[in-house]
Amino acid sequence: MQREVGTLPLAPALRARLAAAGFQTAQELLDTGPCGLSKEIGISREEALEALQVVRQECHGDAARTARGSGATRKCTALELLEEEQTQGFIITFCSALDNILGGGVQLTKITEICGAPGVGKTQLCMQLAVDVQIPECFGGVAGEAVFIDTEGSFMVDRVVDIAAACVQHCHLIAEAQQEEDHQKALETFSLENILSHIYYFRCRDYVELLAQVYLLPEFLSEHSKVRLVVIDGIAFPFRHDFEDLSLRTRLLNGLAQQLIIIANDHKSAVVLTNQMTTRIGQNQSTLVPALGESWGHAATVRLIFHWDNSQRLATLYKSPSQKESTIAYHITPHGFRDVQPPAGTHSSEGTEMNPRKRPRTEEEKQ
Amino acid sequence: MDWDQFDLNPKTIAALKKADIKSVKEILNLSGADLQRLMKLSSADIQCLLKTVSRTLQRSSMLTALQLYQDKDHLTSQHQKLSLGCSVLDNLLKGGIPLVGITELAGESSAGKTQISLQLCLCVQYPYKYGGLESGAVYICTEDAFPSKRLQQLIDQQHKLRADVPAEVIQKIRFGNSIFVERAADLDTFQQCITRRLSLLLARGMVRLVVIDSLAALFRCEFGPSESALKARYLQTFGAQLHSLSTRFRTPIMCVNQVQLYSRSQNVSYFLYRAVGNRVTPALGITWSNQLLMRLMVSRVSLPGHSSGVASHCAASMRTLSVVFAPHLPPSFCYYTVQLEGVKGVK
Repeated sequence: MQREVGTLPLAPALRARLAAAGFQTAQELLDTGPCGLSKEIGISREEALEALQVVRQECHGDAARTARGSGATRKCTALELLEEEQTQGFIITFCSALDNILGGGVQLTKITEICGAPGVGKTQLCMQLAVDVQIPECFGGVAGEAVFIDTEGSFMVDRVVDIAAACVQHCHLIAEAQQEEDHQKALETFSLENILSHIYYFRCRDYVELLAQVYLLPEFLSEHSKVRLVVIDGIAFPFRHDFEDLSLRTRLLNGLAQQLIIIANDHKSAVVLTNQMTTRIGQNQSTLVPALGESWGHAATVRLIFHWDNSQRLATLYKSPSQKESTIAYHITPHGFRDVQPPAGTHSSEGTEMNPRKRPRTEEEKQ
Repeated sequence: MDWDQFDLNPKTIAALKKADIKSVKEILNLSGADLQRLMKLSSADIQCLLKTVSRTLQRSSMLTALQLYQDKDHLTSQHQKLSLGCSVLDNLLKGGIPLVGITELAGESSAGKTQISLQLCLCVQYPYKYGGLESGAVYICTEDAFPSKRLQQLIDQQHKLRADVPAEVIQKIRFGNSIFVERAADLDTFQQCITRRLSLLLARGMVRLVVIDSLAALFRCEFGPSESALKARYLQTFGAQLHSLSTRFRTPIMCVNQVQLYSRSQNVSYFLYRAVGNRVTPALGITWSNQLLMRLMVSRVSLPGHSSGVASHCAASMRTLSVVFAPHLPPSFCYYTVQLEGVKGVK
């Protein structure tokens, strides 16, 4: 209530007039009322009404924010952040090698970018993640929902059905092996129809529609608070033609990246983007690099590059703040994204791999 | 742009008119801070404006994957595909060619690409019940003449190829009338063809299939190695235009592509393609591959490691159709032959 007039989100011209008229705090504005305000600073009654509405909303927002203890200027120690990050869930990919190099899976509140040539498996991984985010907590998942923004039209629902059916089957096997009550209960709601009904699909045909969709995303996520994954497949496609002015493209991409970071943080979701590869012609040879330019490389926190080696698909962790750069092999099977060999051991060890929190300490040390 | 019809504050509308902003695209091209300065409004007003215009751009409301899966309406369903006219080939593709997106058919010369394309032009004219789209096709030739004699042969033999369709249905279809042949020997003509002719035919509902034979021919002579950036721009523009037409009119676009030899020393290719034994890759490089939904490859030589027993008994005419990549299909292949009545898969 004691907020200064200068900090309120009003039009600059209006703020200048208020300052000239001698108003200093928000409370003074509210006390004056719309009629008095319009007379004092010479604006119409509608404008005064609007201005007061904004002030009221701001003050209300401030009060709520201080009560919650979070907001734009939140202070906490690095230890608190570390603890928060360690309890943060991961979305597993069903390929344990990939989960290992990522440090547990695709991390919530971070942007992960997947780059690769066409046909290497980027959309497959996205579809796998849209199913895996929904795995119940007792099986080691985050029990969330998924938003899938498709710009290329490569989301084939039949494939998602195959992946989801295989995931449900896998959970059933674990429940049978471990025979715990909460497993059975969770399986009642973890069915194919349920999984499909919690994947929210948006189709964007050009970059303007994509920008519009991202502007509307925070509202959607507030209404659907269980969403823990936002996939944009692919981010390069709408931005790689139609731009005479590359600096406009860079500016739009930067703005988009900022909005996505805010969304990831505020709604505790993972954001996964897929990018194309392009050829960079060097002095004597050409190399494949991720598209959209150098500055886009800073947008994602984690960057994975998928590529081929003869007939084997490989994934390289190219950029990560906490994990080291490494390459692993993976397979795309009719059931989805998997390891090259099935993990060695009996059913029970498979079960413990599904739930990383239950993994014994010794296994962790081995890595 | 008539801002009055938007659900906005009159103050915002006045500011929009005063700042001479003409389209929603212009608004979204500016950042929040730029808009504040330009229109002299508060950030809350700008947020409201952005949300309102964004909402108008949302063409379709949100769908869940379950709704997509359960949608059986042939006008919107993802399950609807364009059949190839042969059950073996359709099984390989799990129904046929997807309706939205660019599908590429690559292969060496005389492997059967034109045969398959012609067959598709006939298949699209059948009713929905028989895997068609009840509409015509556009065939864009860029180098060779259109094989009209062969087309006539195929038309005459349709009853033999499509034994699953009753004879009176086949007789009613005037196959020759609904195939529009366009010639485009250079890039500008091709550009004109896509932007004018194609949009017209598609908008009138007269065609539901576009075949381009072949795209590589347009680029072969005109671009030297130093002009690769320009070539990439053309490819991206064409790809985007075709993609947009395909999405708007739910029309499959089939691009025939040629192949070229590649040498192991090019490490770029190493990253791109699985070594499938033959030393060929589709032409036009990764720029074009990025525009595709699905890539199919045809060849006369059978792939190594597969049973030679099947191929050897009619080795001369046996060909393979393989799926190189597709979001909904595993890499797989099947054999087929080209006969008088058309392309038929071999089990």
